[in-house]
Amino acid sequence: MAKQLLNVTKIFQKLTINARRPVISPLLKWEDQTTNNAAVITTNSTRNTNYFKKLPADKLWKGITSVSNAGKKRGRGKTISKRNIKDLNKGQVIGVGKANMVWPGLSAPIIRGKELVQQQKLPEDPDREQKLIEMRNAMGISKRLKLSPIERGWTGSKMPGRSIGPPDPVGDETFDDFDTRVLELKVVWNMKGSFGRTRRNAAIVVTGNKNGLAGFAMGRAQEPGNALRKAKNRAAQKLVHIKLFKNHTVCHHFYTQFGATKIFVWQKPEGHGLKCHRAIKTICEVIGIKDLYAKVEGSTNVNHVMKAFFLGLSRQKSPQEMAEDQGLHLVELCEESYKFPNVIASPSVCKKESETKRDESFDYDQYCFGGKVVLKKKPLPPFYSRYDSYLKYLAKFDKKKNQREVKMNMLTEHGEIRSFLTDKYPECRQYYRPKKEVEEEET
Amino acid sequence: MCSLPLVFRNINTKKLTHNYIYRSLVYSSIHYDGKSDPGPLFFNEEVQSLLKLLTRIDYNKVFRKRKLGTKLLTKPDYQFMTDEQLKESINRARKKADVLLQIPPVVKVKEINPTILSKDSALKGLLTSKIVFTDITFGVQNADRIIVVRETDGTLQEADWQLRKRINQTYFPENGRLLKPPTMFQDTYLENLLDREEHEFVLDRACIQFDPDEPEYQRISSITYQHINEKNLFHLLRSTRHFGSLVFFLVWNKNIDNLLLDLIETSNVNEAAQLIALYSKIHNTEFDGDTVLEKVESFTKSASNKKGALELAIQAYKEVAKSKEQLEKGVNAAHGITEC
Repeated sequence: MAKQLLNVTKIFQKLTINARRPVISPLLKWEDQTTNNAAVITTNSTRNTNYFKKLPADKLWKGITSVSNAGKKRGRGKTISKRNIKDLNKGQVIGVGKANMVWPGLSAPIIRGKELVQQQKLPEDPDREQKLIEMRNAMGISKRLKLSPIERGWTGSKMPGRSIGPPDPVGDETFDDFDTRVLELKVVWNMKGSFGRTRRNAAIVVTGNKNGLAGFAMGRAQEPGNALRKAKNRAAQKLVHIKLFKNHTVCHHFYTQFGATKIFVWQKPEGHGLKCHRAIKTICEVIGIKDLYAKVEGSTNVNHVMKAFFLGLSRQKSPQEMAEDQGLHLVELCEESYKFPNVIASPSVCKKESETKRDESFDYDQYCFGGKVVLKKKPLPPFYSRYDSYLKYLAKFDKKKNQREVKMNMLTEHGEIRSFLTDKYPECRQYYRPKKEVEEEET
Repeated sequence: MCSLPLVFRNINTKKLTHNYIYRSLVYSSIHYDGKSDPGPLFFNEEVQSLLKLLTRIDYNKVFRKRKLGTKLLTKPDYQFMTDEQLKESINRARKKADVLLQIPPVVKVKEINPTILSKDSALKGLLTSKIVFTDITFGVQNADRIIVVRETDGTLQEADWQLRKRINQTYFPENGRLLKPPTMFQDTYLENLLDREEHEFVLDRACIQFDPDEPEYQRISSITYQHINEKNLFHLLRSTRHFGSLVFFLVWNKNIDNLLLDLIETSNVNEAAQLIALYSKIHNTEFDGDTVLEKVESFTKSASNKKGALELAIQAYKEVAKSKEQLEKGVNAAHGITEC
């Protein structure tokens, strides 16, 4: 076998060397012999220079898979997409093939330890072909980073809204209870005389212990990861204490403003949840506020929303401060306790009615919002309210609108659905599906 | 096809179980149906003031947060107030408390025998059902409204009180009152409620559903009062409108020993004296003695059913009072204050 192969290679070598001279190929000769025809002189032309021989492989590869900048401007290479590019050379190694052979000096070392490695055949790997095909199919299809729903940010795998863990410890001080959330991660550019345009990443993060301690900061770096780390550690150095009401909401309603961003914040009872801008929601989660409603008017620039909100939180007053500020008692009246006046805070010296200014407001909400009035739009009727089908539905539903209550009343009164007419019309009874077990017993 | 009879059987069993749940409580109902009417005594000013004192009003309990039946808690209303405004709102709340603590009237069970207005035997057999005529003029009291019935046999007579109540509720519905009394007043459910210490709820609902002179109201309230008295659950009704009628019920039935014991054990001797004063007022008896304790002792000797326990409690109270006095003396001596 080996001898035969050697012969074939020799023949091919001859072919290439004597290409310029017309030579009858030995195969043709062999054909002549078999057919017993008279020898015919034939020419076999070959071209030894072509496009694929002129250039090295890497340049050829680049030519196929990419377009030059100038070419791109002219609109070339539009059909090139990474999905179509498949490097079939990958996984093809000389000396490794279908037959799992050990070739000393090619696919294995010649000497292993003190022994000479012998050329031998190992058992075949049945999955090899399959693996190669899979690798080729996977080529060009880049998978998106898949995050678990818990780890996700505001949108998919983007950074804003995602948690990046507690800040790094400083000496012995650790930030175990802390959590850091990204609010913004963007590319910023700087122009310099010497360097030209330089690109960096800027990150804004908030960190907090979910118990009224929080801070925010911005960090810039070449790499997004570094920017996030810088911002996170800087935020840990700028913690502020935030007053909470019963550990679940803000102390009172307030209005706050930073730049063109205006925020109205409402205190809410337990179980209400966070109904606000997503940046405010993220900040609240980090601080430990669980119930709140906030309305942002004007610009919703995340940076400004964050600053305005922190400003408002840090300006919160205690009831005592409010009472002292107004010179009046602060009283809570609750519908559940028949509006019994529950005095929450009293000033050291209380104003008299005659001392109050004529236009002074006693309204608590107005005091909290600093006299600002929230724009309340009238809710639009739902889109279907004018549809004919909806009117039809209403007309049909009108007959059964009280049915449920009547049914419940009958059930509580009689233990079944029956009325004063049931005895008169015994056939009009509620149908009860018979129980399966009973049926079996009967049969 | 074979499923039809089964269906009926199911319904029948259901109906059976529903009717057959009735089980009597351990307590028998006690009505105010004797010869003497408790009404005049109950409305007596002195009795009313004694009952109010015994109620021991705690505004925190009167105005505690209740569930209003709304889906969400209402938003608390905050207000800034001057001293005068605060005082005024507190006064308003006090007045509101008086309304909230109004004791449900204690009166005799009503007996209305409907008077027959006319008998027209010519109308007999004309109609298959009764006809009720109601005067629904605006501004007439429910009790004074003219309601008459033409029976199928031709008699025209005044409606009996059950029918009156139903017709009044139909034309002038009262909030929370049902045409048929709710099942919670049936014995088994009532027992369950009492075991869960929902006495106030039971009495409140009974007040809405029934009139005070209805036998059903007196049955429910008397059972509830007996349960409280037996289980010593007086704290459940204190500072509510029902404590007054509870005390009146116990005094009327000469069964105040448990309450008296409770008052002495908690060192509320003044209230014990008030209770005995109420007893002597209602039953027209006198207990001699100058001090509070002496009166209580004389009551224990002459009218009590639980002499032993009461005497022990009085003895214990005396000892506690004595040791307190001694302690005070000791403290005063330590501070260098000597009695002159």
